[in-house]
Amino acid sequence: MTVALRCLDSLASTRSRTASQMLNALAIAAILLFPSCGLAQAENNATVESSTQQPQVPNAVKHKVDFAKDVQPILDSHCSSCHGASKQTSDLRLDLRAAVLKGSGSGPVIRVGDSVHSRLIEVVAGIDPDYRMPPEGPKLSDEEIGVLRAWIDQGALGPDDSAELDRKAPWSFQPVARPPSPHGAAAIDNWLTLKLNERGLAFSQPANRSTQIRRLYLIALGVPPTPEETREFLSDSSSDAYERLVDRVMADVRYGERMARHWFDVVRFAESNGFETNRVRYNAWPYRDYVIRSFNNDLPYDQFIAQQIAGDALGTDVATGYLVAGTYDIVKSPDINLTLMQRQDELSDLINTTGTAFLGLTLGCARCHDHKFDPVTQKDFYALQAVFAGVNFGERPLPAEPSEQSQQQLAQLQSEIESNKQRIAALLSQAKTIAANETKENSERLRPPVNSKLNIEEFESIKAVAVRFNITASGNSQPCIDEWEVFNASGENVAAADRGSKPSASSALPGYSIHRIEHINDGKPGNDHSWISNETNGGFVRIDFAQPEMISRMQWGRDRAERFRDRVASVYSIEALLEDGTWRELASSKNRRPQGDDIEWMISQLPSVERAEFKRVSDKQKQLEKELQQLTKGQSAWLGTFSKPEPIHRLYRGDPLMKREEVAPAMVDSLHGPQLASDLPEQQRRVALVSWLTERNNPLTSRVMVNRLWHYTFGTGIVDTPSDFGGNGTLPTHPELLDWLADEFMASGWSIKHVQRLMLLSQAFQQSSQPSQAGLAVDSDSRFLWRFPPRRLEAEPIRDSMLVVTGAIDWQMGGPGFFLQRVEQDNVYRYFPKETFGPAEMRRMVYLTRVRGEQDPVFGSFDCPSGNQVIPKRSRSNTPLQALNLFNSSFIQQQADLLAERLRRDAGESAQQQVERTFELLFARQPDQFELDASTQMIQDEGLQAFCRAMLNTTEFLFVF
Amino acid sequence: MFLRTDSKTILPRRDFFGTTLGGLSGIALAQLLNRDGLLASDSKTPIRPVIDPANPNRARAAHFEPKAKQVLMIFCAGACSQIDTFDYKPDLIAHHDQPMPGADKLITFQGGQGTLQKSPWEFRPRGQSGKMISDLVGQIGEMADDMCFIHSLTGKTNTHGPGENFMNTGFTLDGFPSVGAWTTYALGSENDNLPAYVAIADPRGNPQSSGNCWNPGFLPAAFQGTDFNASAPVRNLARPDRWNEASDRRTREFLAKINQHHMEKFAGDSELAARISSYDLAARMQLSVPEVSDLSTESSEVLKMYGADQSGSATLETKANYARNCILARRLIEQGVRFVQLFNGAYQVGGEGTSNWDGHKVLKDQYAIHGEIFDGPTAALLKDMKRRGLLEHTLVVWCTEFGRMPTFQAGAKGRDHNPAGFTAWMAGAGVKAPFSYGSTDAFGYKAIENVTTVYDFHATILHLLGLDHERLTYYHNGIERRLTDVHGHVLREVIAS
Repeated sequence: MTVALRCLDSLASTRSRTASQMLNALAIAAILLFPSCGLAQAENNATVESSTQQPQVPNAVKHKVDFAKDVQPILDSHCSSCHGASKQTSDLRLDLRAAVLKGSGSGPVIRVGDSVHSRLIEVVAGIDPDYRMPPEGPKLSDEEIGVLRAWIDQGALGPDDSAELDRKAPWSFQPVARPPSPHGAAAIDNWLTLKLNERGLAFSQPANRSTQIRRLYLIALGVPPTPEETREFLSDSSSDAYERLVDRVMADVRYGERMARHWFDVVRFAESNGFETNRVRYNAWPYRDYVIRSFNNDLPYDQFIAQQIAGDALGTDVATGYLVAGTYDIVKSPDINLTLMQRQDELSDLINTTGTAFLGLTLGCARCHDHKFDPVTQKDFYALQAVFAGVNFGERPLPAEPSEQSQQQLAQLQSEIESNKQRIAALLSQAKTIAANETKENSERLRPPVNSKLNIEEFESIKAVAVRFNITASGNSQPCIDEWEVFNASGENVAAADRGSKPSASSALPGYSIHRIEHINDGKPGNDHSWISNETNGGFVRIDFAQPEMISRMQWGRDRAERFRDRVASVYSIEALLEDGTWRELASSKNRRPQGDDIEWMISQLPSVERAEFKRVSDKQKQLEKELQQLTKGQSAWLGTFSKPEPIHRLYRGDPLMKREEVAPAMVDSLHGPQLASDLPEQQRRVALVSWLTERNNPLTSRVMVNRLWHYTFGTGIVDTPSDFGGNGTLPTHPELLDWLADEFMASGWSIKHVQRLMLLSQAFQQSSQPSQAGLAVDSDSRFLWRFPPRRLEAEPIRDSMLVVTGAIDWQMGGPGFFLQRVEQDNVYRYFPKETFGPAEMRRMVYLTRVRGEQDPVFGSFDCPSGNQVIPKRSRSNTPLQALNLFNSSFIQQQADLLAERLRRDAGESAQQQVERTFELLFARQPDQFELDASTQMIQDEGLQAFCRAMLNTTEFLFVF
Repeated sequence: MFLRTDSKTILPRRDFFGTTLGGLSGIALAQLLNRDGLLASDSKTPIRPVIDPANPNRARAAHFEPKAKQVLMIFCAGACSQIDTFDYKPDLIAHHDQPMPGADKLITFQGGQGTLQKSPWEFRPRGQSGKMISDLVGQIGEMADDMCFIHSLTGKTNTHGPGENFMNTGFTLDGFPSVGAWTTYALGSENDNLPAYVAIADPRGNPQSSGNCWNPGFLPAAFQGTDFNASAPVRNLARPDRWNEASDRRTREFLAKINQHHMEKFAGDSELAARISSYDLAARMQLSVPEVSDLSTESSEVLKMYGADQSGSATLETKANYARNCILARRLIEQGVRFVQLFNGAYQVGGEGTSNWDGHKVLKDQYAIHGEIFDGPTAALLKDMKRRGLLEHTLVVWCTEFGRMPTFQAGAKGRDHNPAGFTAWMAGAGVKAPFSYGSTDAFGYKAIENVTTVYDFHATILHLLGLDHERLTYYHNGIERRLTDVHGHVLREVIAS
């Protein structure tokens, strides 16, 4: 009891404690002192030895605590280096709730509901001075211990994370193993049949041929076949008709457009910065065209990956548009916290996108902690961040790809430029000679050169109603005049505004209130009250007097305050408008000495024919040089820039202000990713990532891509979570088939077209989509493909198909995109949906400049991604808003009219023929009798346009069957 | 020796929560926890709403008995200052024009700090409760006894776009589902003939995060907010002028006939059936939406009460339009729309703080205008909802992306961004009122008491709707996504008992 008393003494002696804290402390002391358990025993011994310092257990905090939010961070920061996912000293893990509950190899560490008797609390509170945790580093604060205590006392609640305790590598980390199988498309049918048979199901009968061609076109090209293409296929009775059709379709350039749109969902490509400023990236489209080209050329997938991540090292710069395809917050602040967070968000997004797109691995989940479902550590995440740390948002010049045509163009340009140059030099030398003579001969006659402060012009007295100042050279920028005064004989400024004179000008620099035309005669000289034209080396200003004035002198300058010396009119003429309506020159720069070696002045000395030629030739030269620059350097495009990477640190809970140890670049450890040197140059880091991603023994890369192709072809992937092949994703329905396809893909040299061709040639793809009772009962989602699963088309093929059937489509490929919104460019960009549509808006949707978060009001509602987050798989909603948009929008009315016109053109005035043509165009088939009767009746009653409006809304048109 | 081997002294875990749940103390504890609703959080398996594809917004049951059935969320874009509205700080008045201790090194969004500045508006006690509220929002203050203030909110960002994303979607990044999208995903709607979720943008334009504030993110498009307001009707709702009503109807009937005929070959295919029924829903919506949007049936007393009859200046025109939006919000709530978002303030146009609450440089002048537009109509909306009994089943929340500094910016007469402590309020179904929860420091800068996150705020909204924020999930890209990410505690203190 002596111990107890001493303890109480020490507590009592601490002043400023509340009564309740006292009681609490007493209670704790009591627990500590009554030897009901071994803990107290140990305490007893300790206290005896150190007689004055009795450790206290801090009070539990009062509020409710949460494992993930409150407890885990404390354990993570103090304990997990020895008791975490990667290392478990004494068989103890403390990074998961289940692990804490499980305890160590030698027993429990907490006693639920009784924190003070929990071993964990004892050791962190230092009850046993010989055994205190953590052994190194800062002790837990009283507050932190209080949180742990509260958690234990409140029932040690939290998520059931026990599954993570035995987190294993998911199935997809196993090497791809090619199972023995028939060759070609038969392999696909073989594996599917096996699974169907297990369920007592079988393939449906083959779909009819018009269904087949329409399906094939919509899935591979994103548009329906023309009636002519359909007819040709229907009348082709050769045994390989379908196979040849598939080959034709795969060679069609619209294939690349269709596939590219899928890819853009996977890598969340859009053409604005996002966030509140959301400015358009007007030059992001070269990446879009690159992707389309790559699919069309069947660029091997390993190269497709390599070029997007490290195209700058491979001579395919345009491909690195991938790296900067995501959102970018341009709102910057002196607040360093914000800047760090923005950068962290950028890089995290890039890592997450790279992980999901190429590996089907949700690497983004490991930003704050080790991945909850997959063997990806937080360190892996930051090691990948080190790979990308030198990638910055922005533009860089896009080197032109050398082609034979461009080489010829280049040679021609260069020779033209050379001959132009010679002519310019000759004219200049002529001008120089004349000018030199002029200067020499007339050195006395010539007036001083123009200056920026004030220039005087004197002339014979003349009666004028207006004066005009014409400028043809001003140092290659827009000329500026601060004040122009015109005097009569008595020295009054008759041009002054306060005498009623009115100024006007050819132009004025927009956006500057200090450079308006009114300033030229406002009596206030100086740059802040000046006029600047909006024409380089040109423009005129005119002053109309209130009544005719006798004038004999004027003065003008650029900045009488002498702060600015640029923009001075060096070549000019001043004229007067006489009462008879004619103009007369009063003064000019011709009789002034040049300012130094003023070329413009020299040229002005040339005879007029040569002077005109000089202008023509030098304008031509400028244009040629611009063309040359484009041809050799190309334009700038939104492809990112690269800089020396900053050192990367692991961030505690992903917070950029809480740096932990430095992390060198590396790939995912559990996937045998290599470790790179921490000083490896930026580009080489990305090159290393590429070679790891595209190694044939990487188990994920090929599986993920063939699964995407399956998903695009059949509507649902073999793995239903196409960008998540990890523990939280779904298992493959046909693992052997997936592996067979993955291996076939690599064996074919990563040929996307080869693999998709096999799918399109399979019996599974060619079968009917009509449901059967048995099929629906066993497998309502048709995951096992007892039929071809019908589905609603995505927004893009719906709009594209409409344009095709109405004939409005503009097939122009590539180049800058079109807009479905009117753009108002301010500091923030604002978007207003267009209501009328001209030829510019009739291109395929893949050429739409997609603005983040701003949906097209008609088609956006068809689950069109906003371009902000990766969308590996689109939802397929059917909503009333979609119906309203398709039934009432001005776009649909226009398309209905166009379709009606086309029907009249194609089929004449017979309602029956119009109906037949409509069914051919929209559904690649003929109407049955019911449809024919109902349709002709509709046309008779309500007119052709109303019929067209309805037909563009039909289920059959919007779905692929 | 870290681990105690003396297992006799510490009960094995399963005595509490093992398969046997044996031991009296374990049971007692479990009962205790259960009574407080704590045990519920121990089972966090997702509850996925069963969506009928033919009517994705058909009403669905909540996870537990809800206190509120509908939500009206009023959002002030641009970061409305707590200092000048609801967070009364006598010390700030006392230290007016003096430096804020420690602020010399403080860099906020636009840079350095000037001195502490009291609000240009007087604070006065309001209602029976005497809650101190400024004259800027004095009419709203008259409802003080029905309001529950949360003075200790904290945010994660100090820029508008991410801030508006955070308050509306729980994530600072673009592209996550909004609170309204989550709500309708969980609960559908009570009224099939109207959109389940309506976003009413300010008459001056969209908020700064624009569609992100009501987008469905990765949720199906069915849960997207339909954006319209009293001045701009639902797009593509109206029958195009060129078709008369009869022709329009017969076209629809013909379409239905063709679709039904085609459907016969696909009996049992729910996606096709869903597509057909979407046209029926659309037709009903075409009747109901114009009806609910038609304010001509409102009495002149109501129009006057909201300020919808005012005019004579640009400010009053805007006020009248905002007032009409307020009336529209009430009408939508009356008709059972599940989630209504009402915006005050638009994107930045005409300079900082002109069209929204972003008062960096000339706060007094700009807020005088914003207060005029916001206060009267919003107060009328609350009063009108109360007298009509709508607050009994509707939760009203008011929020903004973050707060503002108690100092003026160096060299300016306005306040910089401040996510360290700001105010939101709730009123209506399930809310404890009058009540104030949490507080900021003496000057209103930093939350210090009952520090609250936006996650907590969202968790509480969902809780009042009968939804467990940890179980309302949607799988996207590797994660069971939640509105509250991996955070959030229900603020039980603000819930009426």
